[in-house]
Amino acid sequence: METKLLTQHYDKPEYQSLKGYQKLGGYEALKKAFSMKPQDIITEVKNAGLRGRGGAGFSTGMKWSFLPNNNEPRYLLCNADEGEPGTFKDRVMMERAPHQLIEGMIISAFAINSKKSYIYIRGEYMAPIKIVEKAIREVYDAGLLGKNILGSGFDHDMDVYRGAGAYIVGEETGLISSLEGKKGQPKLKPPFPAVQGYLKKPTIVNNVETLATVPWIITNGASEYKKYGTEKSPGTKLFSVSGNINKPGVYEVPLGIPFKDFLQNECGGMKPGYELKALIPGGSSCPVLTRDEALKSTMDYECMSQLGSMLGSGGVIIIDDKQCMVDLLNILMNFYHHESCGQCTPCREGTGWMNKITTSLLTKNGKLEDISLLHKIASHMLGTTICALSDAAAMPVMSFVTKFRDEFEYYAKEKRSKVKGDVHYAQAHH
Amino acid sequence: MPKLTINGQSIEVPQGTTVIQAAKELNIPIAHYCYHEGLSIAGACRMCLVEVEKNPKLQIACNLPVTDGMVVYTDNPRVKDAVKWSLDFHLINHPLDCPICDQAGECKLQDYYMDYGLYTPEMDQRKVKKNKAVSLGDRVVLDQERCILCSRCVRFTKEVSKTHELGIFNRGDRSIIATFEDRPLNNNYSVNTVDICPVGALTSKDFRFKQRVWFLKDFDTICNGCSTGCNVKVSYNANGVFRVRPKVNKEVNGHWMCDFGRDIYKHTNKEYRLEAVVEKREDLSGATVKGKPVALALQEIGKNLKQAKNIALVLTAQYTVEEYEAFLNFFVGKLKVSSIYYWKNNETSFDSFDGLLIRGDKNPNTQGLLKAAQKHNVKLLPVTEFDKSASSFDFCILAAPENQAVYPDITEKCQMFKKSNEVVCITSCYNDSYNGFKWQIPAKSFVEKDGTFVNFKGVAQKIKAGVKIIPTSVSLEEVVYGLTESMGVSI
Repeated sequence: METKLLTQHYDKPEYQSLKGYQKLGGYEALKKAFSMKPQDIITEVKNAGLRGRGGAGFSTGMKWSFLPNNNEPRYLLCNADEGEPGTFKDRVMMERAPHQLIEGMIISAFAINSKKSYIYIRGEYMAPIKIVEKAIREVYDAGLLGKNILGSGFDHDMDVYRGAGAYIVGEETGLISSLEGKKGQPKLKPPFPAVQGYLKKPTIVNNVETLATVPWIITNGASEYKKYGTEKSPGTKLFSVSGNINKPGVYEVPLGIPFKDFLQNECGGMKPGYELKALIPGGSSCPVLTRDEALKSTMDYECMSQLGSMLGSGGVIIIDDKQCMVDLLNILMNFYHHESCGQCTPCREGTGWMNKITTSLLTKNGKLEDISLLHKIASHMLGTTICALSDAAAMPVMSFVTKFRDEFEYYAKEKRSKVKGDVHYAQAHH
Repeated sequence: MPKLTINGQSIEVPQGTTVIQAAKELNIPIAHYCYHEGLSIAGACRMCLVEVEKNPKLQIACNLPVTDGMVVYTDNPRVKDAVKWSLDFHLINHPLDCPICDQAGECKLQDYYMDYGLYTPEMDQRKVKKNKAVSLGDRVVLDQERCILCSRCVRFTKEVSKTHELGIFNRGDRSIIATFEDRPLNNNYSVNTVDICPVGALTSKDFRFKQRVWFLKDFDTICNGCSTGCNVKVSYNANGVFRVRPKVNKEVNGHWMCDFGRDIYKHTNKEYRLEAVVEKREDLSGATVKGKPVALALQEIGKNLKQAKNIALVLTAQYTVEEYEAFLNFFVGKLKVSSIYYWKNNETSFDSFDGLLIRGDKNPNTQGLLKAAQKHNVKLLPVTEFDKSASSFDFCILAAPENQAVYPDITEKCQMFKKSNEVVCITSCYNDSYNGFKWQIPAKSFVEKDGTFVNFKGVAQKIKAGVKIIPTSVSLEEVVYGLTESMGVSI
């Protein structure tokens, strides 16, 4: 079922270079875009129904149209701070096809009339940073960036900005703060970035995959794009799959395919001796699905939200029957505790509190009441803060303790894992 | 103008008003820590959550602009539960050391716990440990464990003092307020951070451990530290005055006051004061005698004054409009005194201004004095000219500066005054330089008398007699009254 609209040439090493990319049809979309009116590009993307691939799934064309209609300088930022645990698709895209992203960015910048864009790449991504920087140099040398690109009269400059390693700057206003040279903390909304973002100017922040999809839509048209996927989730999406499966990796599939098929075909099924127990469909922040829910799900925005979870960034984490849910939740809590920026009280204090409780369960100090308390804390962190990190920490907790309550109760009562017995993550790793 | 309804009460407010401001107009309380009228919006404490009809998520009232027809609830069970939990999140790592905390009694954690909390805590994990009693500068101490990271102090140093000493370092529940290395919090407005700290994290080195706040009473008055005339609250009890804090007056000082103003209470307390009349007795070969009743002293002064041929008056701009009025009325109107000297503090920096509040004119009532002089057609002579005719004066009345700290030239000037025959020094504070004078009369300090100060831009503001520290002390009006009685002059 793999449908390679974007990833068709990812296995060709020459695709990384400008020459190779151009030989395979690269930068043709840009030429076409320059023959269009900027407004028509926005309409085309809107018509294609492209939804933001970073996690929220908001309509990209709609986001662009929120920009105020004035002549103020505006910025296009590419969010390549891929920090969501379980997600590694942007990394592959930047490593295999940097020019796809750059082309998409130039077209998008032309559409929204932005003269300057930045690609904000997470600091740990050394290889993608080098590859994208090299690609930008090539593009400048070829006259595809800078003044009067391809004789269109459109000027554009692009730079790479390297993050310093914080999950929170993946949130768009956090990213803007960081890019401004401040501590990477989300900003209050309103004002929204489209009105007042980077350096207080109108700013659009899009995910790598979103921007890399734009050239395909321009080349082939919105109606062609809509032939893939479902009505509300058109097109294809890259999923990064991890877990005890035969073929972990990044796969591009049309949205809406049944997870069951995806697991069997693309992922090559579970490793021998492992059974599917649960599924985190879109990165660690998404509520976990049970085996039954997972097997009846389809991989699109609407089905996942019907099941009370999210498609998120497409970071598919497959949890097998040998994993202890208490252990896993504690790993997630360590992460969110470590990454909370500390600005809003519920998140700053709540992530630490929940982490202490999950740790106390693992260190045999847990109590039965702690399980309800975890749920109570999480439910009061939900929707009460500036950004979604608090929600991201709360949702796994609520779904884990609701859907796998037996494992938590067993740990609290018996002081050992229902699945793994006496060995737990904390012991094995410290 | 948009109209909104909060808990069933409607109000029309100007465009751009936020819900928290509208609620204040309606006297509807909304809990908050990070929100402060004089600072930008942080939106971080999440205490001001309110429910807005047709909005699935609770919203923070501090960053929510009012729109027409908005329906807001601040007290329904959903909001109350959310606020209670926001409060609990503030408290789970708080040390709860109220018994030894200076903020106890005026702490917003305590207040809101009584208003919105009253729950049994469920947090039984180990609390986060941070540093205690961190000295941030000359005047401010930080307890990082008590801190709720509302960022008010950080925003103050960014937006008001513009000195940028404070920052929030680290992240998550390891976040701490701190200064940058070698850059202590030593700006001239640093103690404002203590005032705006809603909890006991920032405390004033001066006030720390001196008094429990519930043993203090407040009264409102005007700072006498400079010609800005900041509105202040003075906290006192039977043992004296303990601290001065700013009171909001948008026209004069906004929400703030300077650190020098914090010290103005000190000279009003007993240890610095002249407690009784001091008389230098020639018949006891120049020895001083203390304790003659003021009325008796004034009687004797009046007697001598009657025979005086050439009287000099030395005034400082540290007294009230009413006192100048009485003084000039008597000395100029009745006694026809024409040698009136105006003693200014540090001439060179007199007109300076730091751009925020601090002015070089360290007197609360320069405008009041100048206007009174104008009214009585008096030409004020610079005090430096006193020397020229000093020996010709057989009498000199000196209304000495109350705030001696800003008059570094006291000793030098007193040498000059001593050249006249008989000096009557009316002063609230004790000073060695006054020892050679014939009389020292204890004057009231600015916290002990009623009156008016006129600030640099002509705003007249009332000061109040809030406390009695030296019972025998008198105002200039009372001095005049005593003199008229003994001299048989009516005014």
